[in-house]
Amino acid sequence: MSRSSLGVLVAAVVLLSLAVSARAGTVPPPDQEGDDTGLHLLREAAAAARLQDYTGTRFVTSWGISGASSTLFDVRHTAAGGLFVDDVSPREPGRWVDPGSLAGGMASPPEGMLRTLAGNYRVVPAGGGVVCGRDSLIVEALRPDGTRAARFWIDELSRLLLRREILDGAGRVAYADTFLDLTLPDPRPVPPATGSAPAEPPRVPSPSPSPSPPQSLPQSPPGPEELDRLRARGWEFSGSLPGRLRLFSASDAARDYLYLGYSDGLSVVSVFIQPGDLDETRLRGWHAQSLDGHTIWIRDSVEREAIWASGGHVYTVLADAPADMVDAAIAALPHEGEPGLWLRMGKGAARLLSWINPFE
Amino acid sequence: MSHLGERVSALVDGELGHVERERALAHLTFCADCRSEVEAERALKNRLRALDGPAMPADLTMSLLRMSEPGGPLPPRVRPFPDASRSFGGVPLPGMHSGGPPDNRPRGRAQSRGGRARRAGYVAVGLTSAAVAFGTMFVVGGLGATPAVVPQMEKFANQHKTTAPYGQLNVFGSASTPPAVPYEPARGDGAPYARSAHDTPTPTPRPATPAPGTPSTPPLR
Ligand SMILES: [Zn+2]
Repeated sequence: MSRSSLGVLVAAVVLLSLAVSARAGTVPPPDQEGDDTGLHLLREAAAAARLQDYTGTRFVTSWGISGASSTLFDVRHTAAGGLFVDDVSPREPGRWVDPGSLAGGMASPPEGMLRTLAGNYRVVPAGGGVVCGRDSLIVEALRPDGTRAARFWIDELSRLLLRREILDGAGRVAYADTFLDLTLPDPRPVPPATGSAPAEPPRVPSPSPSPSPPQSLPQSPPGPEELDRLRARGWEFSGSLPGRLRLFSASDAARDYLYLGYSDGLSVVSVFIQPGDLDETRLRGWHAQSLDGHTIWIRDSVEREAIWASGGHVYTVLADAPADMVDAAIAALPHEGEPGLWLRMGKGAARLLSWINPFE
Repeated sequence: MSHLGERVSALVDGELGHVERERALAHLTFCADCRSEVEAERALKNRLRALDGPAMPADLTMSLLRMSEPGGPLPPRVRPFPDASRSFGGVPLPGMHSGGPPDNRPRGRAQSRGGRARRAGYVAVGLTSAAVAFGTMFVVGGLGATPAVVPQMEKFANQHKTTAPYGQLNVFGSASTPPAVPYEPARGDGAPYARSAHDTPTPTPRPATPAPGTPSTPPLR
């Protein structure tokens, strides 16, 4: 009798502590899946975006410092060929992209991205809606305080992601990516590569005779030894940024700069670090802003872009993220004052003198 | 708002200003008629572009693009004398590419100088040696060690846009360190997203969460 009531009490305490730690969000509990009751829908959407043939028009808007910036894309996807995305305003030709990338509208986030999302937010179903005249299921990503961080509309029939919204801390939509029209030639998974090329939709011409869609390969975030190796080569960076942003990629393969990719499972913030002094005279189309007395160069576009110099390095941030998140990330990155001209001259003079007089 | 009309062409050509472009795009969000007009215009333009002749090889295009980038490497200009635009105090700054406009100042006058010019020449030599010392202080002090750079925005934007977070094989580090992550086709359970990616085991103690509908290995009891 007393033993069973003790058992109930222990179970209740365990459950309660689990619930509390799930809400607190400081340390992600080992398995939050139970709480993320909408995660399977996002998984189904990710799968559908790779298996389903479709054509459509996607409209992307981000709200930045100077209002909205939008882009209109034609998209065409076949399970066999991949995803082809073409900007309506042809600054650049259309291209094959990974459906898990920003260019692919994050139509098919990789499993690691979904796990990061689930680790940072509670992913829950939130009823139904209509996008492009199609019945859809809504999934929400909630912050630990219960406010919405993102909303997803998933086609009930095909499970394709029809619309994605990211909201800032004040609950305003900061980023929206939505289909304006969508055509599903055959709304069921198509067996891959039947030998003959699938019929080309006449309205989107083929960009090149032999398109090579990008290959997605499994990847884990950089392990500690990789990061140590980069740091040993002199790069300084953090494994996380404010706003639950975690490092998912770090590479100096380009040799003249370090690329860092951060994500919270929703937004993407890229940081590029180049050794050198910023040549401000060659920044055309950028305007200077002051952050605590330091100059930051910014520019308006669908992505948020910022450039600044600190400690002998030039930092460039490109972000598809709400403004408050980007601002916090930028503020958390180094902003050292430049060693002054005379200080450096002084150092140089002192070193020259020490060469002349080794006893100095 | 009325239909886009002739603005369709300007939009497709990328000739609208920011505000007008936003307005046109906003109209397209609800007007299927104008959308199909944009489609038709683009199809036509693309067909015309395809007639333009053979496309340039991709790597040539890439190197041309890189050259046109503000931060891209430019071939160093060979000059008989160090000139003020790329040297400090007579000392050429190492690592600095000459990105400035070419020096078009007339040099003809220097040819017709006499004794006064020679004296000026001695002064110039004296100034130059002072300047060499002065410049060396900068070089030694670290000014010359850091090149003046401009971010390679086109390259950066491409990497930002096309990298699938947690989804692509990234080579960490330079060519000296081979990619540590081997290609792993799928878990063999036929899960479609397994083709895209799933985490290979990482030091982070985070058990893999099986997807719904995918058979997972039964836990050991
Ligand atoms: Zn219209």
